[in-house]
Amino acid sequence: MAGCAGEGGCPSDYVAVAISFLSLILLLYRSILPFVIHKFSRTKGSGFWIPVLQVFASFNLILSIVMSVDLLKFERRHWWQSCYVWAVWIEGPLGFGLLLSCRIVQAFQLYFIFAKRRLPPMRSHVCLPLFLLPWFAGAAFIHVKQPLNNHCHMGAQWVVPVVSFHTLYVATLVAFTGAIRHIEFRFNELRDLWRGIVLSASSIGVWIAAYVLNEIHDEIAWLQVVSRFLLLVTSSILVLAFFSISSSQPLLSQISLRRREPLKYETMGQALGIPDSGLLMQREPSQAIDPDEPLDKLLLNKRFRQSFMAFADSCLAGESVHFHDDVHELGKIPVNDSVRRIYMARDIIDKYITAGAPMEVNISYRCRQDILMTSNLAHPDLFNNALNELLQLMKMNLAKDYWSSTFFLKFKEEASMRLDAHEMEPMTGWNFSPRLSGVRGADDPFHQEYLTKDSDHSSGNTDAT
Amino acid sequence: MLSSFIENMGLLCSRHRGYHDADAEENAQAVEIERRIEQETKAEKHIQKLLLLGAGESGKSTIFKQIKLLFQTGFDEAELKSYVPVIHANVYQTIKILYDGSKELAQNDGDSSKYIIADENKEIGEKLSEIGGRLDYPRLTKELAKEIESLWKDDAIQETFTCGYRFQVPDCAQYFMENLQRFSDVNYVPTKDDVLYARVRTTGVVEIQFSPVGENKRSGEVYRLFDVGGQRNERRKWIHLFEGVSAVIFCAAISEYDQTLFEDENRNRMMETKELFDWVLKQPCFEKTSFMLFLNKFDIFEKKVLKVPLNVCEWFKDYESVSTGKQEIEHAYEFVKKKFEELYYQCTAPERMDRVFKIYRTTALDQKLVKKTFKLVDETLRRRNLLEAGLL
Repeated sequence: MAGCAGEGGCPSDYVAVAISFLSLILLLYRSILPFVIHKFSRTKGSGFWIPVLQVFASFNLILSIVMSVDLLKFERRHWWQSCYVWAVWIEGPLGFGLLLSCRIVQAFQLYFIFAKRRLPPMRSHVCLPLFLLPWFAGAAFIHVKQPLNNHCHMGAQWVVPVVSFHTLYVATLVAFTGAIRHIEFRFNELRDLWRGIVLSASSIGVWIAAYVLNEIHDEIAWLQVVSRFLLLVTSSILVLAFFSISSSQPLLSQISLRRREPLKYETMGQALGIPDSGLLMQREPSQAIDPDEPLDKLLLNKRFRQSFMAFADSCLAGESVHFHDDVHELGKIPVNDSVRRIYMARDIIDKYITAGAPMEVNISYRCRQDILMTSNLAHPDLFNNALNELLQLMKMNLAKDYWSSTFFLKFKEEASMRLDAHEMEPMTGWNFSPRLSGVRGADDPFHQEYLTKDSDHSSGNTDAT
Repeated sequence: MLSSFIENMGLLCSRHRGYHDADAEENAQAVEIERRIEQETKAEKHIQKLLLLGAGESGKSTIFKQIKLLFQTGFDEAELKSYVPVIHANVYQTIKILYDGSKELAQNDGDSSKYIIADENKEIGEKLSEIGGRLDYPRLTKELAKEIESLWKDDAIQETFTCGYRFQVPDCAQYFMENLQRFSDVNYVPTKDDVLYARVRTTGVVEIQFSPVGENKRSGEVYRLFDVGGQRNERRKWIHLFEGVSAVIFCAAISEYDQTLFEDENRNRMMETKELFDWVLKQPCFEKTSFMLFLNKFDIFEKKVLKVPLNVCEWFKDYESVSTGKQEIEHAYEFVKKKFEELYYQCTAPERMDRVFKIYRTTALDQKLVKKTFKLVDETLRRRNLLEAGLL
């Protein structure tokens, strides 16, 4: 016992290593499985690489603990087993620091978007290094001062600041999350975040106790063995739990794999439960279309919009109409439901407004900047200027050609067919049952085609996001 | 849908890449599509595909309109009249940009006093600025035209107009402001020139087919010309047109060396054009495509270059003016031309050197010049075809 306490390789140590190994496998499994099952296309940006970094950090954290607290017995010492590599650099900046910084960045962004109602002032790839910087500075400082003994332990005067530094980051995360606690999220971001925090805080309590005991009481053999066992096991659990409870949104993050979640939504509008989003309703009033009416009025008619959208897509100019459609959906969300409005607005910004967005629209620089710098993402007129610019663009480019296109001919034909059907209704008499009219609707070949076309559009959009 | 198009961008140029992972059904569909494409390409083999490319506001659509005028039936009255709302919109938008711009300058500029609008025009300015921000513009009545004219003649607005490069003032501003009375006529029918001057930001793709039958009726070549939008978001759509192109007409507005992009006001337009030309030249699809570089907007260039030194643009910063007047204009033009020539040879791999590259000095608004230029383009392309067929 005394021998293995100093050099490593006690039975309990092997158990701990096995547990940590298992947790790493579970972690990998959880992070890769959603991609394999759902065949997601990779999202660009922070939605993808923050979870990846978290996995990387978790690996580092576990590995560093295994290497630095004498769990395994090595025959010879190699240079790469240096305490400073494992216990300082990989445990700190690349392990615990990175893991918590990723989480803080997520909470920070949620805080800005939902509490401050504006886009975060810094992109996450700027924000993350900023949060990590103190870790690197600290690691460098320790490296210079060389306080570690040959068991990779440091004295009490070092342990106290190091532990308080770790705690500070946990406290920051708690603070940011606390600031957004009153917001009712649509997709359980907050609940997940809180659960993550409660779980990690409690395991961190155990972890810190184990860490402190392990560091300070170098001479008590049994304490060494017990504390390092606890250290590794709790950090394995911590890492796994921390990752599994992801703060994610449908469409934006692909990490969550929970069966109770409803199936993937095709558009943000549907995910937010906006009435008759996406699908063409059966009982849309069919009125005659007058080409002299202004385009913005005409576009309020859903059937017209579908036809016009198909035309614009065929001219490779569809993004303006899609944008109009989405902003129209946004308008259906009540003004006081700011959380849903923010979700939708963010989705629109990501899809159409930011430079290089998948369906970027042709608007002026000032107009774009105004939207990106907005002080209120829930503002009802957020997209008004952009919409005006784009309606002008559509009017001048597309409207003229549309009236002479086959798309309009088809639309007219379809409208007159529907009109005939309506006129026949009073005579036939049995058509008040919605079911029957539904049957008749299915006979309409154009209607069918539009339905499939519509779902094509939506799935295309989802791919893009 | 558009975005899924974009994801497939690369496929167009490499049809032989195959459909390994596609389902059997999709495969059959693909074969059918392939067959149809082949059929169509056979039928259309004699049609030469021309692309108009270039950054935003480089004059692509003006060239396009000129070709319509020159080699198609031109514009009938209905079509001319359809430009009335466009022209009126241009007028309202221009005056709004100028008025808002002068207000901004009066606030921020060091020498702000000269940008302060006379009191009697302030009310008009506010009203017009409000109209310019609307979605539907009112008819341009005589009264409105008068008001716009008096605002336009305000010293502050004129002063703002001279710093037009700081705002997105369209090139047609002066022309439109000088013709306001005519535009406000109840029976106003736009002239050919009005239509050419009218600014419409293109989105998507427009095409026409034409055959440039000259006086001697010799040319039997049929062309299909594609016009596209030039802003950054529009450029990703170009790639759908890149296959089987005989010639690219690349428009570069040489007068825009001191202006910034409509879509990114931190970016110089000439630098953007440089990068864009570079990108187009390196496209694998254009290995054998002829390049016709139109150094466009020479009319504005020759006025501007005497006032604004060429070296304000980073690309031309080693330019030194040598003289004044006409000589200076020629010198500056030759300098710009040489820069583009150098760029072409830098970006063209040795094995592609046999593709045709010609530079033309153009003013898209000048019908005679465009006609002459296009004749040269036509001749070059026919010559090239004969060469390829081994007849020359």
